[in-house]
Amino acid sequence: MTTKDGAPPADGLITRDTPVGHELEGVKKQAQIQLMGSRLWGRFNPNHWDPEYARSTGLQAPIQTGEMSSAYISEMLVNHFGKAFFLGGRLECKYIGSTLAGEVITTYGVVREKQPKGDGFRFVVDVWASNEDDEKKTVGTAEADVDV
Amino acid sequence: MSDLRPMTSIQRQQTRDFVDSLDEESQPYWDMVEIGDELSRDLHLSAELIILYADAVEDFNPWFEGWRMNTWQIEGESPFGHAIVPPMLVSHFVLSVQFDHTKPFAVGSIHTHHDTTVHAPIPVGTTVRITTRATDKYEKRGRRYVRHEVTVTGVPDGTLYATEVRDILSL
Repeated sequence: MTTKDGAPPADGLITRDTPVGHELEGVKKQAQIQLMGSRLWGRFNPNHWDPEYARSTGLQAPIQTGEMSSAYISEMLVNHFGKAFFLGGRLECKYIGSTLAGEVITTYGVVREKQPKGDGFRFVVDVWASNEDDEKKTVGTAEADVDV
Repeated sequence: MSDLRPMTSIQRQQTRDFVDSLDEESQPYWDMVEIGDELSRDLHLSAELIILYADAVEDFNPWFEGWRMNTWQIEGESPFGHAIVPPMLVSHFVLSVQFDHTKPFAVGSIHTHHDTTVHAPIPVGTTVRITTRATDKYEKRGRRYVRHEVTVTGVPDGTLYATEVRDILSL
């Protein structure tokens, strides 16, 4: 699916003929506190990277910022919609469960609707991110135009 | 759980000292915000900042590279010609604007929801203005939420790059 240097296809993997019900292939990441606690992410709050502090606040382990799972989901969307996601794309996410350090998170997407728009369609996709036990951590909706 | 972050004694002490330094008196976020409050800050999206963001979420899409090891600063390549910013990056920085950076960070606040529209690709190297306006404070199932509307525009040309609605749960 990739092009030069491992980049996604410029127009993504979804085409105007992609049907409702189509499942997007997601991305898989492990929640690692060395990344969760990096300065640009969760360093300002030790609940995101310090097991001892997290325990003192009642958490089983440090938890990721929800925005990390939004980034994972958006990586999936760029793979599937390419440049179109930067031209009116939308991502709505609810953080419904905490992602604990060490968990492996996979993103998912299913095309729910194709709304006719211009010469093409606005795709509406149900998206979510779950751990290895299929416990959903983040759920939402994404939209992007194809061939509009 | 300690094997998640192996450390020597000096690292442990430095970690405890850092964590202790974060302990500040603060108000619940609910009390810090009044509906209509507007905050705004400018952020320069340097190539290095983009790399720091993308590396931590292991997104190695070369479209986002305005910096590469050995060559360093590069114009980069994407379907828009030059390197661009990951689509959710500016959303990640909204928190720094919502929480007035001149005040202690509010305890017990959790980002629970965002609805983000990407209007245009942001070239790496752009300076953006992130503006947040508190539009609602509401309770739902016994929990308190603060809602903000956000705009992200280019400086100084005013190009609209992103809009967002987001909710913070507060103690």
